[in-house]
Amino acid sequence: MSGRVVATLRRVGLSLLGPAIAVAVAMAISAVVIALIGEDPLEALEVMVDLGETPRAEVQSIVVIFNRAIPLFLSGLAVSIAFRMGLFNIGVEGQYRLATLVAAAAGAAVVLPAPLHVLFVIVVAMAVGAGWAGIAAVLKVTRGVSEVISSIMLNAIALGLAAYLVVGPFRGSAETASIVSTTPLPESAHVPPLTGLLTGLGLAEPRSELFGFLVIALVVGVLVAVLLARTRFGFDLRATGLSPSAASASGVNARTMTVKAMLLSGAVAGLVGLPQLLGSTYVYSTEFTAGLGFTGIAVALLGRNNPLGIAVAALLFAFLDRAALPLQSIDIPSSVVTIIQGTIVLSVVIANEVARRLARRSAEREAAAVTGAPPDPGSGSAPGNGPDGTQRVGATLPETTEPRA
Amino acid sequence: MAAPGGPPAHEGEGERSAAPAVELRGITKRFPGVVANRDIELRVRRGEVHAIVGENGAGKSTLMKTLYGEHRPDEGQILVDGREVSFRSPSDAIAAGIGMVHQHFMLADYFTVLENVVLGSEPTRGGRLDRAAARRRITEISERYNLGLDPDALVEDLGVGDRQRVEIAKVLYRNARILILDEPTAVLVPQEVDELFGNLAELKREGLTVIFISHKLDEVRRVADSITVIRRGTTVGSADPRTTSTRQLAEMMVGSELPTPETRTSTVRETPVLTLSSVTVAGIGGRAPVEDVSLTVREGEVVGIAGVEGNGQAELVDAIMGLRPLSGGTVSFLGDDITTWSTRARREAGIGFIPEDRHRQGMLLEAPLWENRVLGHQTRPPAAKGWFIDRRSARADTERIMQQYDVRAPGPDTLAVALSGGNQQKLIVGREMSAGPRLLVAAHPTRGVDVGAQAVIWGLLKAARREGLGIVLISADLDELIGLSDSLHVMLRGRLVARLDPDGVTPEDLGGYMTGARTAEDAA
Amino acid sequence: MRGARMGKTGLRATALLLAGSLALVGCASDDDGGDDGGNGGGDGELRIGLAYDAVGRGDRSFNDSAYAGAQAAVDQLGGEVQEFTPNEDGSDRAEGLANLAEQGYNPVIAVGFAYDETIAEVAADFPDTTFAQVDGANELPDGTSKGDNVTGLLFAEEEGSFLAGVAAALKSPTGHIGFIGGVESPLIQKFEAGYVAGATAVNPAIRIDVQYISPAGDFSGFNAPDRAEDLADVMYGDGAEVVFHAAGGSGTGVFAAAVTAGKLAIGVDSDQYNTVDDEAQKAVIMTSMLKRVDNAVEAFITEFEAGDVQGGTDVLNDLSTEGIALSTTGGQIDDIQTQIADYTQQIVDGEIEIPTTP
Repeated sequence: MSGRVVATLRRVGLSLLGPAIAVAVAMAISAVVIALIGEDPLEALEVMVDLGETPRAEVQSIVVIFNRAIPLFLSGLAVSIAFRMGLFNIGVEGQYRLATLVAAAAGAAVVLPAPLHVLFVIVVAMAVGAGWAGIAAVLKVTRGVSEVISSIMLNAIALGLAAYLVVGPFRGSAETASIVSTTPLPESAHVPPLTGLLTGLGLAEPRSELFGFLVIALVVGVLVAVLLARTRFGFDLRATGLSPSAASASGVNARTMTVKAMLLSGAVAGLVGLPQLLGSTYVYSTEFTAGLGFTGIAVALLGRNNPLGIAVAALLFAFLDRAALPLQSIDIPSSVVTIIQGTIVLSVVIANEVARRLARRSAEREAAAVTGAPPDPGSGSAPGNGPDGTQRVGATLPETTEPRA
Repeated sequence: MAAPGGPPAHEGEGERSAAPAVELRGITKRFPGVVANRDIELRVRRGEVHAIVGENGAGKSTLMKTLYGEHRPDEGQILVDGREVSFRSPSDAIAAGIGMVHQHFMLADYFTVLENVVLGSEPTRGGRLDRAAARRRITEISERYNLGLDPDALVEDLGVGDRQRVEIAKVLYRNARILILDEPTAVLVPQEVDELFGNLAELKREGLTVIFISHKLDEVRRVADSITVIRRGTTVGSADPRTTSTRQLAEMMVGSELPTPETRTSTVRETPVLTLSSVTVAGIGGRAPVEDVSLTVREGEVVGIAGVEGNGQAELVDAIMGLRPLSGGTVSFLGDDITTWSTRARREAGIGFIPEDRHRQGMLLEAPLWENRVLGHQTRPPAAKGWFIDRRSARADTERIMQQYDVRAPGPDTLAVALSGGNQQKLIVGREMSAGPRLLVAAHPTRGVDVGAQAVIWGLLKAARREGLGIVLISADLDELIGLSDSLHVMLRGRLVARLDPDGVTPEDLGGYMTGARTAEDAA
Repeated sequence: MRGARMGKTGLRATALLLAGSLALVGCASDDDGGDDGGNGGGDGELRIGLAYDAVGRGDRSFNDSAYAGAQAAVDQLGGEVQEFTPNEDGSDRAEGLANLAEQGYNPVIAVGFAYDETIAEVAADFPDTTFAQVDGANELPDGTSKGDNVTGLLFAEEEGSFLAGVAAALKSPTGHIGFIGGVESPLIQKFEAGYVAGATAVNPAIRIDVQYISPAGDFSGFNAPDRAEDLADVMYGDGAEVVFHAAGGSGTGVFAAAVTAGKLAIGVDSDQYNTVDDEAQKAVIMTSMLKRVDNAVEAFITEFEAGDVQGGTDVLNDLSTEGIALSTTGGQIDDIQTQIADYTQQIVDGEIEIPTTP
């Protein structure tokens, strides 16, 4: 029993080691980059971890980090669901943009009591995201089109479609407005902020509101984690990801699973824009935050497709994003942050592979320790005590023909 | 049988040449945590066929990789023709006159024999491939060693035996004087084996040295001049094939007494478990891989299907498991027509499956053992409870399987990839048996597993058969097929061409049917 | 079971990590506490916060122009400029603005209409800071004000575009010209409307090809020279003799196509004759529609320093204030200066009404 615990601890240790090394390597590379552009890396680090001078500024920074991390978490989660079954949903970008737009427009068009209104917007967004991802899935299972290709194409279409819809039928802003947007969602569709929770904890009141969607994101994260790790559905999904051939031999219908996984991934992708939609802008506009779907791929990689890991990765990305602001005040361009993020992801991909091999080797070593040196006298690999020992006692060799010389 | 421990001794015959062609002294090779080879002592005389035998996993491949320069030993010396050498890569080994014929051919299908042979060491004239020179060399080699190769034939059109001769020619073309053949007979039918042995005799006659790796002891005894036995990473002794019986050799290999696949008392009952009627599977253009196959498996019956690989056995298995749609015919199981059932429904109804390629279809290598216990049974207890995977029961049941079926691993949380082939296979067999199937589709159930595990698996199959399990057995191991089956079909080009009585058939006869040299009329 | 244990370990690790970083944070802010006191109180020094749009400084367009204006003001009045460039997806615009204000920069000037969504909120949080927004009116389209401390620095792009249209029509004997917009947004449509009106005023039968690189909401059109070049190639191939671009960084593609076709192009925002390095491209840039963001920014800062900024209003930069003009570098429109001056006068006098939407 304790052996198992030790083995598990070692495995967990190895799985944390990868990202930790990766972050360290990325930091070192970034330090070199900062030094190369003639700035002081240590000062940069100091500025990055300095959340602010006043308690209020510190809390504000934390709020900014969380508000940024929530959509990144959802996006990473969406990508990871597909990843876990070996699908690359590069289309989260298009899925969330379209989903947010349609949900914003639909939400503004109906009158409902508060909780139902929020639920309605969420359901619409998930349905649109799932539907859009479903196109890629259906193309894959019926026509064999790679979901990578189709979802890239669907991204382009979604962007164009969203642009058309927001300028055309869903336009709610005045003709003269520079930023074209949908009609604002009524009060009943707003998700109340969690700022009260922070002040309730005795923290200073931040300037911005902490997105209430945090709670929903956490619930979604837990649900997805349980679904993947504990349910039959999750097992089928993961098995297909590990080995499609073994999964289908075990009775998993690969086509159905592809469709289900993509729908699920798309549904979660549909939520990506909602923290902002329901927590701060209340409209979808031509200026709505773009690129979250692509960043989500990096977050999923960094988080090793594990919901908890993705949460940590999203926080790290958000932390670095926030650091871009103070860095600029010491004349370090914000692109340095992009470099750090890029190198982290790259190092993580490499480190994950190294960690995977180490884990594998350590597992092999454990197994060898058991099978390699049994105290069984005389015969290491001789037949042991099977369920039917008598079969092997006094058995004779198959008599075959004699050598022909 | 010589005394184990000491190096193979042939001092008495040393007049022919002062130094052996290859000598390994105290070779030890460690991988992290594992000693793959330990104190290996090997002496191969020039001009002999020297067999190295041992179970799978005994360390033969590691040893040969050391000799071929694919990795360096941690301790010990390698001597070629009496001179100590140190290989940093296979090209060093080739330069020293050592060539390797791999078990899995490394040929480009759409290249000609000539192109394949010269690939990587092309003779050039003015920067272009000098085909004339190459053709001369190859023809010369082919004639000298009686390989019968046509330099312009496309490899795609060649049979397995010919391909192997191309591999041999490739090695000879690079001036190898010492050839390592890794399990060369594993892919051959008996007739092709005879041809190979003819070729080896030619090589020997020309003074070349052959190191022949195998675990098929009868073959080894036929072809080898001397034998070195490896067990658990070290040389345990040498044997003279003329004075050592197959059984004695096997016992040296395993270190104990041996099992047999034979089942002599029939346990066949009346009730049919599986009935295939005119099953046809459509191919992607061209010939149907399975055509008009009808057979019945009854309770307690093992129905063996023999055939050279690629004659439709894999597709037939897929058709029974519901992994491939039928284009004609029906499959019924315990009276139900299951032709249109999904794989999952079939498994739930009581069909167990030991796939041909356990890595591809039988296991999740990167997953722990208990998850592999769940695989294929994810809708049934103990693996599942409602919509959830029952981790606790699955783990407990994995521990039970490990104990009962002798799966050697640290625990249910070990990754499947860490296990040896035999232990993986025992886990698969245990898992499939644990669900209490009525029919077991077993494709190559003992392929690539060591003798010990093979015995366990045979025992399990026999016990289950006695309990009334119907088994479809597909195997390339003809002894296994003949020994286990109650009735035996031969599959050739997608059809069942002969039905034989396993009691009266020899592997040679069976080989004749498999290659189409004999037909059903002969059998009747 | 494994997952659960992993989960707990992971949680503990996260907690440790968080604790560690909080400790770091604590140290860092302690360190900084000391030297910061001197910064906040200073009154005399002019400290300008400049928040850019998208790519930031180095765009050879209006971000650079804004910087030039701020720098000119600093040269005159002393002080410093602190810049802020938003991240790639623009999600930190609000935070960037607020950050500048929080650090005591005053005035804070936001460049680009993209700040429409965020500036009001930030301005409300920092009532003592004076804000200005280039390309954004004080009044939001829904009628609400962005705040009393926000001044809109607006430009009559349609007027300059009208003159560009006039110049293009005069330089096209066959009566065939083109327009390439970066993104089909209301702002760029204003350029199109003015350009079309100016060209048809000269030649009512003129053919004007209009193309946008990307639809509204997709800002890639401002930075896609290759796509701009493709579009311009087609226009020139169809017979257009002059193409006016309002496509930011994509403009170089239009110039390249003009060089290939041996025809003319009109630049935008800054004097692009000076921003391109290639002599061949200079030769095809007939003129540029200047949007003097630099002047507007400099003027605003000067006013601020003088204490004349009222706030809550807009400053309109148009032909009359010379906030908008056609460049003459290269001398290619010298021959039509009389006609241009004539139209300019009519616009300034209000005799010509220019539409702002196509």
